[in-house]
Amino acid sequence: MVDTRPFLPVSSHAGSDPTGPSENRRKPMKLQLSIFFVLLTVGFFAALLTSNNGSDNGFVKENEHGSLASPSSEKQLRPVSRGPAVGVSEKSNRLFAKDNENQLAYPWNNSMLSWQRTAFHFQPEKNWMNDPNGPLFYKGWYHFFYQYNPHAAVWGDIVWGHAVSKDLIHWLHLPLAMVADQWYDKNGVWTGSATILPDGKVVMLYTGSTTENVQVQNLAYPADHSDPLLINWVKYSGNPVLVPPPGILDKDFRDPTTAWLTSEGKWRITIGSKINKTGIALVYDTKDFINYELLDGVLHAVPRTGMWECVDFFPVSKTEENGLDTSVNGPSVKHVVKASLDDDRHDYYSIGTYHEKNGTWIPDEPKIDVGIGLRYDYGIYYAAKTFYDQNKNRRVLWGWIGESDSEAADMQKGWASVQSIPRTILFDKKIGTHLLQWPVEEIESLRLKSYEFNQVKVQAGSVVPLDVGPATQLDIIAEFEIDKEALEKTTGSNVTFSCSSSGGTIERGALGPFGLLVLADDSLSEQTPVYFYIAKGSDGKLKTFFCNDQSRSSVASDVNKRIYGNLVPVLEGEKLSLRVLVDHSIVESFAQGGRTVITSRVYPTKAIYGAAKLFLFNNATEASVSASLRIWQMNSAFIRPYPNNKESQ
Amino acid sequence: MNNTISLTLLHLAFCFTLVSFTPISALELHGTGANMVETTCQKTPFYNLCVSALKSDPRSSGADVAGLAQIGTDKLKAKATATLRQITALLKVAKDPELKMALRDCADYYNAIVKYDIPVAVEAVTKGDPKFGVEGATDAANEADACGRGFKNQPKFPIYASNKVVHDLSAVVASIVQLLL
Repeated sequence: MVDTRPFLPVSSHAGSDPTGPSENRRKPMKLQLSIFFVLLTVGFFAALLTSNNGSDNGFVKENEHGSLASPSSEKQLRPVSRGPAVGVSEKSNRLFAKDNENQLAYPWNNSMLSWQRTAFHFQPEKNWMNDPNGPLFYKGWYHFFYQYNPHAAVWGDIVWGHAVSKDLIHWLHLPLAMVADQWYDKNGVWTGSATILPDGKVVMLYTGSTTENVQVQNLAYPADHSDPLLINWVKYSGNPVLVPPPGILDKDFRDPTTAWLTSEGKWRITIGSKINKTGIALVYDTKDFINYELLDGVLHAVPRTGMWECVDFFPVSKTEENGLDTSVNGPSVKHVVKASLDDDRHDYYSIGTYHEKNGTWIPDEPKIDVGIGLRYDYGIYYAAKTFYDQNKNRRVLWGWIGESDSEAADMQKGWASVQSIPRTILFDKKIGTHLLQWPVEEIESLRLKSYEFNQVKVQAGSVVPLDVGPATQLDIIAEFEIDKEALEKTTGSNVTFSCSSSGGTIERGALGPFGLLVLADDSLSEQTPVYFYIAKGSDGKLKTFFCNDQSRSSVASDVNKRIYGNLVPVLEGEKLSLRVLVDHSIVESFAQGGRTVITSRVYPTKAIYGAAKLFLFNNATEASVSASLRIWQMNSAFIRPYPNNKESQ
Repeated sequence: MNNTISLTLLHLAFCFTLVSFTPISALELHGTGANMVETTCQKTPFYNLCVSALKSDPRSSGADVAGLAQIGTDKLKAKATATLRQITALLKVAKDPELKMALRDCADYYNAIVKYDIPVAVEAVTKGDPKFGVEGATDAANEADACGRGFKNQPKFPIYASNKVVHDLSAVVASIVQLLL
């Protein structure tokens, strides 16, 4: 907005001169004073004028969020209902697709909705859940805490839910661990992490939203360290232990990590934040978890990535196939920095080197730095957190899987969100830039009847049913071989491919798509393909993509219909391999041993219960594929409240 | 005369130093409350609706973006609640079975808006986890959309105007909350 008032000529605006024009002629002192005030007025209007010009691009005031670095034109006049908008969360993108304009929000009935509940994924009995919190193994039990709304199936009134398990699969619900009963967490008992001290004791750091809506960090610990179930928790009487430091806004300071030891014997944590639109991770050292010193600088920062939520920082071994305690460091170790980006609701990680002395981290490949490179999961997956499982010497990853249906449906069914099956994390030695994620081996205890298919040939443009009985609770391991001749003979092209901008499985290429159709009905009116697509460049090089196509997953129009996926590196000599966990409304898919992972939520109206089937498909135009599979029916994990007899199993 | 010139230059230097230390943001806050509304609304899909909705609340002059988001949500809540009342009243006198069905669906959608979407948006903005607010407001727009679609084959759409306002205002609120990310 331009201030159209003209610059005030020095001599004429005597009206603003409080000493009055007549007095100018009388005393030199008055002259100085009048000139002073005139110049002050000029300066004032000059400042006003220039600040108005500046505010067109950054109306947000300094004292709230700083000026927005990204030009406002990117976000201007973006209609809510059209296409993937920049920076809008995925859930808000799953809007009624253009081609479904004639259809209404689906009349979900109880049969369809109750089918959606999962059999072996962690979820509370009802209501809303989000971030995983403070996972740990303690005195024989795996503990899982989580952001929970005790009142509704939408986010709000957040407290800490709690559950325990002997094997990360069979969970028993316990009472709420922490509620919003202090001024420093009255408006939210938010995400936090556990640290196990050398003497075996546990401390928990978590974010509280105070009565004034300031984000602070608080310390809590078990009321009774001899209770293996860790039912009761005590909040430190001197909370909060950390408040937003200078330069960090009250609402940009949350999700403290597990602490790790420095070479000086202090504990170190990192907390995500942002400065303008640069995502950062602040570093604090502490000896007692009560008094902290903020390090100069940050662990790392990446411009234009926005707020870093749920930051995670952990070591991975370059050589061994096991996890590492968070404090481990050394030449055979790499460090991972992970951030959940508020702006796009995705979890990103990057592998690099930790410089202990000054508490900084440098990515190995700046092109795939945090927030601009690899994601844990290319579907619905957020706020992930790892912990070191000292019981089995592995690093385990939890991730929050939200819904991609409408909130009205969530209301109707009375719950929203599940957690992924916990995954082990390993450094992918063969590739060097990736992590490998794989469902924890304990999930195999749910396997029931198995079916084996060897070298099933699927011609180009065909579908092969796989008779495995009920197809809503499955563990599928598959290997695909594509016709070598077709691979060589196909002419390459310069056309770039991406899962999300492709037409899904109806878009046929020479060498793809091919894979599995899960949660499909006999007539294939509803189907969820999980598949590979091989693209051959004009240089003859092959690129393999791994995708999950939801465009025909349901005839309902009020569910997400997007196509997820990404490139998956495939090395010379590697077969294309796939693992898929189907559990009612959640499908978790792992390609190449977990190098690229996609989790999606699926809400069929017909392909449910006994009508859900499994197929192999090959919609390529030139290549046939042959598939070998082992498929198991999966039992329920019978997740339920901890039995009342108070005996620990 | 030399004295005057040097003193003037001194004043000049003093003034510019003073001005450069004046927080510009304070000037923007106090001097240009209306500006904040307009510049914020420019980033939403329905500028005129945004400006009139925000300015009709006296709190909007001097509000920051979070404050405007809260004002917008309050307005949305009022509009959605009123529209829900309208739907309920129409249902009482409606005779045509198809009209009744469409109105009943809209009542469901508006229940979701008033009972869930808006409280989520309010809480998310006040407590500082705005992504849930974007989600809530966008969902409200979707529900209003769904309500409208139910009337596509109907001869009359009695709540067309208020439904459109709720839809558009939801989109506006979603855009404003988006700015807080």
